[in-house]
Amino acid sequence: MPQWFVRGLRRGLVTTRYPARPDPLAALLPGPPSFRPDALTRQVADDLVQICPSRAFVRAGDELIFDAGACTACGRCRERAPEAVTLSGEFELAATDRAALVKRIPLRDE
Amino acid sequence: MNPGAMDAAAPDAAPSSIEETADVLRRRVARQFGRSLHIRTLDTGSCAACEQEIRLLAAPHYDLHRLGFFFTPAPRHADLLLVTGPMLRAFASAARKTYEAMPSPKLVVATGACALGGVYQPDEFSYGSVAGQLPVDVWIPGCPPSPLALLQGLMVAVDRMAERAWHLTFLSGGAQ
Amino acid sequence: MTALLLFAVAAAAWLAAAICALPLAKPGRGIWVSCGLSAVGGVIALAGGILALLSADSRVVSPGGSVVVGSLQLQVTSLSGVFATLVGVVAIAIGLYLPRSGRNAVIASPAYLCAFNLALIASITVLSAAGVPTFLVAWESMALLCYLLILHRPRSIQVAGGAFWFLALSEAGFVLIVAAFVILAAKTGSLEFSVIAARAHLVSASWRNTAYLMALAGFGFKAGLVPLHVWLPEAHPVAPADGSAFLSGLIVKLGIYGIALFAFRLLPEGAAWRGILTMGIGAVTAAIGILYAMAERDIKRFLAYSTIENVGIIVTAFGAAMTFLAYGQRALWAFLLLAGLYHVLNHGCYKTLLFLEAGVTEHAAGTRDMDRLGGLARALPRSGVIAFIGTLGIAALPPLNGFVSEWLIFQGLFQGFRTHSDLVAILIVVAAATLGLTGGLAIYAFVRGYGIPYLGMPRTEGAAQATERGQPIAGPGFLAVACVALAVGAPVVLVGLSRAIRTATGVSLRPILLPGKLTVIPAHTNFSGFSPTYLTVFLLAVLVVPVLIYVAGRPRGDSVVVPVWDGGMLAFKPRMQYSAMTFSAPTRVSFDALYRPAVSVRRASDDPAGRSGPVHYESQATPVFEKYLYRPVVRAVEWLADVVRPLQSGDVNLYLLYVFLAVLVAYLVAAL
Repeated sequence: MPQWFVRGLRRGLVTTRYPARPDPLAALLPGPPSFRPDALTRQVADDLVQICPSRAFVRAGDELIFDAGACTACGRCRERAPEAVTLSGEFELAATDRAALVKRIPLRDE
Repeated sequence: MNPGAMDAAAPDAAPSSIEETADVLRRRVARQFGRSLHIRTLDTGSCAACEQEIRLLAAPHYDLHRLGFFFTPAPRHADLLLVTGPMLRAFASAARKTYEAMPSPKLVVATGACALGGVYQPDEFSYGSVAGQLPVDVWIPGCPPSPLALLQGLMVAVDRMAERAWHLTFLSGGAQ
Repeated sequence: MTALLLFAVAAAAWLAAAICALPLAKPGRGIWVSCGLSAVGGVIALAGGILALLSADSRVVSPGGSVVVGSLQLQVTSLSGVFATLVGVVAIAIGLYLPRSGRNAVIASPAYLCAFNLALIASITVLSAAGVPTFLVAWESMALLCYLLILHRPRSIQVAGGAFWFLALSEAGFVLIVAAFVILAAKTGSLEFSVIAARAHLVSASWRNTAYLMALAGFGFKAGLVPLHVWLPEAHPVAPADGSAFLSGLIVKLGIYGIALFAFRLLPEGAAWRGILTMGIGAVTAAIGILYAMAERDIKRFLAYSTIENVGIIVTAFGAAMTFLAYGQRALWAFLLLAGLYHVLNHGCYKTLLFLEAGVTEHAAGTRDMDRLGGLARALPRSGVIAFIGTLGIAALPPLNGFVSEWLIFQGLFQGFRTHSDLVAILIVVAAATLGLTGGLAIYAFVRGYGIPYLGMPRTEGAAQATERGQPIAGPGFLAVACVALAVGAPVVLVGLSRAIRTATGVSLRPILLPGKLTVIPAHTNFSGFSPTYLTVFLLAVLVVPVLIYVAGRPRGDSVVVPVWDGGMLAFKPRMQYSAMTFSAPTRVSFDALYRPAVSVRRASDDPAGRSGPVHYESQATPVFEKYLYRPVVRAVEWLADVVRPLQSGDVNLYLLYVFLAVLVAYLVAAL
């Protein structure tokens, strides 16, 4: 019996059941951030616009426009403002319309 | 356009009748590829991280063959063009030729932050995004997108899974 | 109306053509008259040949002669009739090919036309010779006239070299042929072939075998058996296209006729080792011929080596036939002779066709180098189709004629077990396996030989500018029709050939050969059978299936014409296509030991690879036979000449001393 065959039988099935069933490894994946609007001040927003290396943020008046398509999940925004930015845990991000990935995040009223 | 808009109305989605017709057409096209889809990958100048993740799709853990997807090197045999990279200007004509060599009906899926417009700005070397050069049907964000994200994107492209991008708000503590 | 009369009329027509060619001080309409007469002579010779192979051997006719060359004795046998039909076909084809119009026309010179027609007369005389002097005179004149044919541009050194190779080896062969004939004539006491054949059994076995071996080698020089083949790749490229066609299509076959004459008419009975030796030489010739063909870029050298391969196949068939006779298998003896003769006819047709097409290519595109051609099937559509038919034939692909004759030869060889001798059966199977190897390599070689020049895109301007205006179509077209006719009409051809075989060997193959009028059975009913006609019909019917599938299932919408997918390159240059040498590279690497290539690589500078500037790569196959066989022999002859030279001092007194000594010795010998 070849080694790989025996090893395979012992290990069992390793293929993921996704998309029929959720994949347990999905939670470990890096992905785009989530925002807490009540922690997002104008100052924080401007900092985020400056700090993102992929230009995923634009501030338009009272809103922070976040382009999830441009996000590289580098984590700099979370590092700068951990009270406002957390991991979203989302990975099912596919969009047929590019505009669907551009989200408007409301800033905190000041 | 959003084929899954039927289940929940997202705030920004407002389909009109023309868009619904396009939607039906798209779904008919997608039905053609429902059971077997041949994918041609195209690297327009990426760092190859996306390619590594695409390569993993064929590995035992993700195994895209069980879903009826196959890789092919020949654009003449391909149904779907999977594009990565920020579309270098030097590559644009080759990308155009690859797209034109594919027989209709065909789909284009752009994946990776570079292809979607992030990371690189348009300059004298690259267009910054594949948007202007190829007609893209599905965008898959990520840097690089994990194989699971790629699988979801491919399933959305052939209309076997619902698109969720419209519903996502990226607001923590609530409505997802 | 006997065949001999028809041959005489044909010869008269060719003589008239030669005379008509003479006043052509400058080319004009006159060339059509001369070539027309050649073609007419060809038609008559074809009719005579068919008549000859269907009837019994004619009487010996002696229409006089002279004291110098002996009496002229003519007789038409069925064996010579087979070859005479080939003379007729080749004469018609070349007669239709020679006149050409158009801006690139190179009109044949009067001397060339004269030599061509006289060579035809000499060939038909060789075939109808009934006695040794007639044969030898006709043979030598045929050789000299062919030398003149090749030497159409005597001031060019390559042409002179190629012609010299032809003449030198022809003369070497002639010496051996004369020796063989002299041995037989002396031992049987007569100069007539029929008398020699009748009295052959009275000659001792050792003399018979010596005569046979000398004849095999002598005619082998002309036929192109390895290692006596060297003149073929030298002479064919330098001769004009129709000259090469004439050489390969006809003259080489006269060498085979000579071998057949000795093997089947004059000395049929003999030990088995004669046949096995002949078979072995034939098999080796076939394999080496096609292997060298794979390494050639020049179309004509490639075709020349392919001729060597086919000659090997024919001689293998003859050798196996002789072996079977030695073991008492008369049916297989006759059958393999028939198969070999069929292959002679087939090869004559398609090789002549391919050489004529090579001439068309050379005139249309300006080059014979495969790596400078491409896309000719689009530039020369009709020539492309004709060349394709010839290629299918020579690659022995069904349903064309090459397949039929090679199948017959294989079926004969596979019945080696009927000799009831294990060793011989194994040797015959080894020969069959070698022929199988050559068959596969031939397909490979001719995919290359047709695909590189005719398909794809033109690699140079010359090929791109090729046009069919003014190129002869009738000559090659006639041969293409002949190839198809020989294939589809195989039953008819086999009936004719079996009549000829019955006359030549006394074995009646007809009942065994074609029981149901359309099926061929190789000599014994319990072995195999197939029908070439039904095969053709079947193949054509099967071709209908994909057509039906297409018609039923093709997409109904608009179709778009898009450029060929070339990997997305900015500019696809035709030189990026597969080249002739890369296509054959796998074979050349596998058979490296045969080619022993001498490779030289020169870089423009010593900078690392990629920045060193142009790289010059040259690979030359070692000419094994010239280096290890011919050069030593030539050097030995030169050494001998040097040793003997002191005798030729030029001093008259010394010569008078020689005369005195010779007379003294003669008196002493006569007295004792």
